[in-house]
Amino acid sequence: MKEQQFSTEESLQLIGEMIGKAKRSYVSKGIASIVWGILIIFCSIITWGQIEFNIDIGFDIWLLLLLALLPQVYFAIKEKRGKTFIGHDEETMHYIWISFTVCIFITSFYNSRWGGESSTTLIMMLYGIPTFITGGIFKFKPMIIGGITCWAISICSIYTPFKTDMLLMAACGLFAWLIPGIILWKRYKKQQQVHV
Amino acid sequence: MFKDLDPILHSQLRLAVISLLISVKEAEFTFLKEKTNSTAGNLSVQINKLKDAGYIEVVKQFKDNYPQTVCKISAKGIEAFEVYVNALKSYMNPSGE
Repeated sequence: MKEQQFSTEESLQLIGEMIGKAKRSYVSKGIASIVWGILIIFCSIITWGQIEFNIDIGFDIWLLLLLALLPQVYFAIKEKRGKTFIGHDEETMHYIWISFTVCIFITSFYNSRWGGESSTTLIMMLYGIPTFITGGIFKFKPMIIGGITCWAISICSIYTPFKTDMLLMAACGLFAWLIPGIILWKRYKKQQQVHV
Repeated sequence: MFKDLDPILHSQLRLAVISLLISVKEAEFTFLKEKTNSTAGNLSVQINKLKDAGYIEVVKQFKDNYPQTVCKISAKGIEAFEVYVNALKSYMNPSGE
């Protein structure tokens, strides 16, 4: 691109083209979403299985979520280092997801202290908040649907026993994170193929 | 009556840079170079012109021991861009309908 004068039509066309290019740079691989989705589904089903078949695996399976934080932080730092721009909404999103993570861990500590089987409704309600906001900000329908689904499921869980809540929680993991994550990953791969 | 187009913005590369910067919070020189398909020398000159006009803020720093130039649109730049786009619209649609 050279520095040259040009017509008003060309100006508007260039503005649109550049805004479009910047917009297409906001590419999420969806890996974090897929990892969390799989973990939530796995932990929920294992917890359900322990109650259903009356077995004890000897440790709290939900501790896996804490372990999973380490690679997540590593990949987030690596991704940040490789990025050459910062989007307008990125900072907001970071604060929203940090708030969510803190709330989830506070609720988990509350559960371990007071045995909060009934707080599964609250946890599923919390799942819906960052998912719905993220979907709304980035106009990504699968996450909007995922967030609403979490809230609908959390209402159902008011009337169901803890064992069933675990299956409902697995459904939350599927709709809020795994499915949107897979869609993002497919989009990313498709975009990579276009640029090759 | 047609409004005058801002001569700082009515230039292909400078307009491209401002359009990119209005779409992000901040961007590195390499991002702007890649998206505008321009040469480093030309881009550097145009960035300086935008900086001198007060339309963008430029921060030179080091990242992992490499020099890094980060550009960010200023409030004056946002205002100038809005005025420029409105002026373009008046050219395209003189009756104002």
